[in-house]
Amino acid sequence: HFFFFQSSDFLFKFLVIGNAGTGKSCLLHQFIEKKFKDDSNHTIGVEFGSKIINVGGKYVKLQIWDTAGQERFRSVTRSYYRGAAGALLVYDITSRETYNALTNWLTDARMLASQNIVIILCGNKKDLDADREVTFLEASRFAQENELMFLETSALTGENVEEAFVQCARKILNKIESGELDPERMGSGIQYGDAALRQLRSPRRAQAQSAQECGC
Amino acid sequence: PPAPLGFTDVNLNSRNTYEVSRRRSAPEHLPHGGTAPAEPDPPPQEPAERARHRVGIAGAGSSFAEFFTRNFFTKRTKELKPAVQSAPGWKLFGKVPPRENLPKDSKIIQQEYEARTGRMYKPPPPSARRKNIEFEPLSTTALILEDRPANLPAKSVEEALRHRQEYDEMVAEAKKREIKEAHKRKKIMRERFKQEENIASAMVIWVNEILPNWEGMRATRRVRELWWQGLPPSVRGKVWSLAVGNELNITPELYEIFLSRAKERWKSFSETSTENDIEDAGASVADREASLELIKLDISRTFPSLYIFQKGGPYHDLLHSVLGAYTCYRPDVGYVQGMSFIAAVLILNLEEADAFIAFANLLNKPCQLAFFRVDHSMMLKYFAAFEVFFEENLPKLFLHFKSYSLTPDIYLIDWIFTLYSKSLPLDLACRVWDVFCRDGEEFLFRTGLGILRLYEDILLQMDFIHIAQFLTKLPEDITSEKLFSCIAAIQMQNSNKKWAQVFASLMKDNKEGDKNHSPAPKS
Repeated sequence: HFFFFQSSDFLFKFLVIGNAGTGKSCLLHQFIEKKFKDDSNHTIGVEFGSKIINVGGKYVKLQIWDTAGQERFRSVTRSYYRGAAGALLVYDITSRETYNALTNWLTDARMLASQNIVIILCGNKKDLDADREVTFLEASRFAQENELMFLETSALTGENVEEAFVQCARKILNKIESGELDPERMGSGIQYGDAALRQLRSPRRAQAQSAQECGC
Repeated sequence: PPAPLGFTDVNLNSRNTYEVSRRRSAPEHLPHGGTAPAEPDPPPQEPAERARHRVGIAGAGSSFAEFFTRNFFTKRTKELKPAVQSAPGWKLFGKVPPRENLPKDSKIIQQEYEARTGRMYKPPPPSARRKNIEFEPLSTTALILEDRPANLPAKSVEEALRHRQEYDEMVAEAKKREIKEAHKRKKIMRERFKQEENIASAMVIWVNEILPNWEGMRATRRVRELWWQGLPPSVRGKVWSLAVGNELNITPELYEIFLSRAKERWKSFSETSTENDIEDAGASVADREASLELIKLDISRTFPSLYIFQKGGPYHDLLHSVLGAYTCYRPDVGYVQGMSFIAAVLILNLEEADAFIAFANLLNKPCQLAFFRVDHSMMLKYFAAFEVFFEENLPKLFLHFKSYSLTPDIYLIDWIFTLYSKSLPLDLACRVWDVFCRDGEEFLFRTGLGILRLYEDILLQMDFIHIAQFLTKLPEDITSEKLFSCIAAIQMQNSNKKWAQVFASLMKDNKEGDKNHSPAPKS
């Protein structure tokens, strides 16, 4: 894949995974549109979103793969894991069943995406606290044991939604800076954005390049 | 005319203008079909004079004016036909008869404006704004000056006269446009009428000639052509049923049996689920129960904008029944996401038991069975066959996709699983179903190529993520004429091999390959 984007330093491939009905597409929609989508369809296969975020002065373009949640689709969605740099692993705090499935999702992600994939656990539907079946403490313990970041989110109110994506991206950036992750390595899920590419090329070429990119 | 006045006006009204522009641009994003009532109509509390005022602003800042016209007129004429009929803009000119206006001088008009502000109300005049593009600042200035505030010196007689003249010209121009618009409306009405007549006459042919002689006529050239035009909604379900057939020999009684079995299961499930012991249950039981839960979840997420399948909606229970009965009838397949869309479309066109029969038989077709069993290696064969025809028909786009490693599964999975009912507007999806029932699976892939062809020029400009986003969320304004002419242009021939042959040879390759390689692991 070759990607050229307007002024981004990096491109990260992100996954959104987790059981059906946990609100994966709604999280993505809230992150991109800053709105709750209350008449959303269920995802068949995969849907996409992209957004450029600013993380500590660096512009990162997220290319987000929002996958179908039904177990049956696992064999299809698994093929989309390759080369993912980050993932939102989503469960529904009002459904223990979705929480119990986390281990399976986690195994898949670690095995198929990349050993170094940065995963943030999202306990979604935080706004439905009255129907809660999974406590914050329990989930944060699970996150700790499995080296995941953890947030409780609400795609409805927008609480912690942006944070989830940003925190995940920040951790990846930190890993790049510390040398733990190498963007040059195949399958890292990281690519240089055009801003970074511009530094690598002659300035004039870069300018022509960005002129072409406008409007796409 | 002194420029500062113009500026005053802009400052006074720019906020209102902005609000209107926001209100007006919103409907652009509404889904197609039946959206007219949902349009956030501007409050009728729009002072006529203020609206006229805006004419002045638009002249002052033509970018605003362009913005309006763009947002309005494409919309109005396309989607809100009834609203166009009473386009409020004409009231502005029509309501104030020139005769009554003639003796008025700018002072009176100005006083009227002040008197009416906040009292006499009227929706904003879109057409008035449109005029502005064509009218150079002179005439719009006249309108601004009519609104000259009382604390400023009045116009001279000469100036007022000239402005009156210009105003009359605008009225005349507006009338002309009104007549033109009326003609256009008439033409649209005529076309719609003709379309309805076509449907009516087609219906007569289907009911009186074709359906009574189904087996003898279904394959004739005349019927096939008529079929391509789209089935009349009143016979659609019937023709689908006949075309899909009933190889499985399902009777309405059999449906009732599976339905009652499903109902028993729901009952026992709701009793046991309170105990919360799903974890320890056998995997198959848990899976089946999860799939029952998932049906419930997905029904509310099937055509949510129609508000008929959601809880409390008229078709909620029907959809639940058909899907539930199917999971009992075919436990080996069970419920798979995407099915709810197919069952929903069938329910919209057929009686309950007939919908079930068509549903079960449709899903029993090789392509559907491969997909709904999520038989990944078979799915890959279908994608490979699709790519053969993709390269043949759209070589440039094919290479473009290849350069981004953009594989067809990314967009085809949604299209095939839901038979386009999720990705295309429903009426258009039904037309795809019409020909799918006639031509079989091949037409599903041909439709996919038609969509790619329709948007080829745009897609060639896009990179990976934009293509992926675009194809998994198609534009809502896609029309049947354009799509079907693109589909018609797709040749399902590859060096004299048809779809079935291409697919068969890919299957053969697979078998030979199997001897050497162990099959890819499946979940």
